[in-house]
Amino acid sequence: MGPVAQYIISIATVGVIFSIPSLALNIRYGWTGDFDLSIYLFVAIGAYVCSVFVLPPSTLPYPDHYILGLNMPFLVGTLAAMAACGVASAILGAIALRKLRGDYFSIVTVATTLILYAYFSQATSLFDGFNGVFGLPQPFNGQLKLSPNAYPLFFLALCIAILVVVYFFSNLLFRSPFARAVRAVREDEVAAAAFGRNVYLMKLKAFVIGGVIAGLGGSVLVEYLTSWSPQAWSPIETFLLYAAVLVGGTASNNGVVVGAFFIYVFIQEITRFIPSLHLGATSLASARDILIGVLIIGVLWFRPQGIWPEPRDKDVETAVGQQSRPEPLESRPAAGGLT
Amino acid sequence: MSQFLLGVGFGLVTASIVAISAVALSLQYSVTRFPNFAHGELMIIGAYGAYQAGLWTHNAIVEVITACAVGGALASAMNLLLFRPFQRRGSKLITLFVLSIAVSLIVQAALEWIYGGSSVTFSTSVGKPYHIGPFVLTGQELAIMGAAVVAMLLVHFMLRYTKFGKAQRAVADSLPLAAVTGIDVDAVIRTTWLVAGVLAGFSGYVLALNVGSFTPTTGFSFLLVIFAAAVLGQIGSIYGAMLGALVIGIATEVSALYIPADYKNSVAFGLLIITLLVRPAGLFTRRAVTA
Repeated sequence: MGPVAQYIISIATVGVIFSIPSLALNIRYGWTGDFDLSIYLFVAIGAYVCSVFVLPPSTLPYPDHYILGLNMPFLVGTLAAMAACGVASAILGAIALRKLRGDYFSIVTVATTLILYAYFSQATSLFDGFNGVFGLPQPFNGQLKLSPNAYPLFFLALCIAILVVVYFFSNLLFRSPFARAVRAVREDEVAAAAFGRNVYLMKLKAFVIGGVIAGLGGSVLVEYLTSWSPQAWSPIETFLLYAAVLVGGTASNNGVVVGAFFIYVFIQEITRFIPSLHLGATSLASARDILIGVLIIGVLWFRPQGIWPEPRDKDVETAVGQQSRPEPLESRPAAGGLT
Repeated sequence: MSQFLLGVGFGLVTASIVAISAVALSLQYSVTRFPNFAHGELMIIGAYGAYQAGLWTHNAIVEVITACAVGGALASAMNLLLFRPFQRRGSKLITLFVLSIAVSLIVQAALEWIYGGSSVTFSTSVGKPYHIGPFVLTGQELAIMGAAVVAMLLVHFMLRYTKFGKAQRAVADSLPLAAVTGIDVDAVIRTTWLVAGVLAGFSGYVLALNVGSFTPTTGFSFLLVIFAAAVLGQIGSIYGAMLGALVIGIATEVSALYIPADYKNSVAFGLLIITLLVRPAGLFTRRAVTA
């Protein structure tokens, strides 16, 4: 395989992997409208839990240490990561969603994230503190024994398979009565409550589902990176995910995948290819972040519905019960006019 | 016990810095009704402005003026170029909150581009330590506390005895009511942003002096400490913010005696979470107001 093919495989893998937590954030924020700033905490928990399940027992010199070390296969690690994130989401969600709305909810989620960030960075006996976990084995390569040239292609296929499952699950969920109700809460909480909906419970469910998918994304990401440490989940990562959701199209599954590729592949690579800037590594990251910040503002001003907006049923047609219902307006790139 | 009192002494210094910044945040919140996520960047740009001015002039007064000027300029620019146009369109408060996050990202990245991600150090002498009662404080720390007291008094007099202060309090009380009584609400909001930016820039400067070295993300990591103080004292209330700062400053510094200092800020974050959950209207309000 030539270097061009390898390059394309590597950026495609990144885009596919980051689509997973972007879809998770979309369920949490896009559907419920609660501006959650803890999404990357669950990506990180997923990555940590998956790591300690697939790694061998810790042999690091004192004080470095990580718990468990079970030598489990990738799938077990991933399931454990999803379970751990589900439990953690349920705890945080149960506390934060009960009373708090809007900016207060955001502040509590970001404060929780920063406290746990400090804790995971300091606790050397849990996930090896600031040094983090490293040296993860490649999933399935123990059995497959692929060459270093062929393995990336297999890994990309694995990531695509996982993304496809998440995408179809998310799409199926999007049209379910549950998700419709959740989005109704987003539009008008009081009205939804007046219709007998338990707003708190629905928000909590969406929060947990988002957390579980974020954990799945984290475990796939850590298998790709083969290491995880606090540097991998600095607060800025949350905003990159938000950029993907907002630019792609809030609450739109298709849009969010497009947005993830746009932010993590297109923006990432385009800043690399501006030759006149002669940027070093630091300025490169800075240029990218400035661009993303400007992009978020620009999208909110010019196209708040994003590149590929959320499909919306036409009120008039769905209100008439007797008529055969029109197909949901799935893909209308040119649709506009909301918020 | 003397250890404890020393901690209280450091707490008073931290409280002074937090107070200036939290008052600025509360002032801004009282008229705009959304917490500015880029508030930490107003602080850190003040620190970098002062640092740059210091490189050129080596003059503390120029440093202070520059810190205030760049903080005020950034805050005014944010309001005029971003928040006001969006508000005129009738954007939701949460949209404005998201915008302020984007600004925070841009300013941090811009500072990183210009000054690099590694820490920058102020080369000032901290002065010899003074023993005052049980406290041991350097001349610089005393100056910071003095500056905070002066700043608080200035804010107090501005709000109580100037025409702007009266108008500002009216707008904070009820914006539509202020508007129908003929107050130029737009001008009040403009001036409030300017004052908040000046105060935040100044607090960033004293923060930088106190911690010695800083990076483009220092403001962000301090942001939630400021939020904690403002929320503890009921966000939007100026005098509450002062009290909240006192609690947060002393709690963080004293906690460092008993738990690793790396968790200093986490103590403030924990207090923030508990306050929002239990008493979202602040600790010092007489009756709990539902948020």
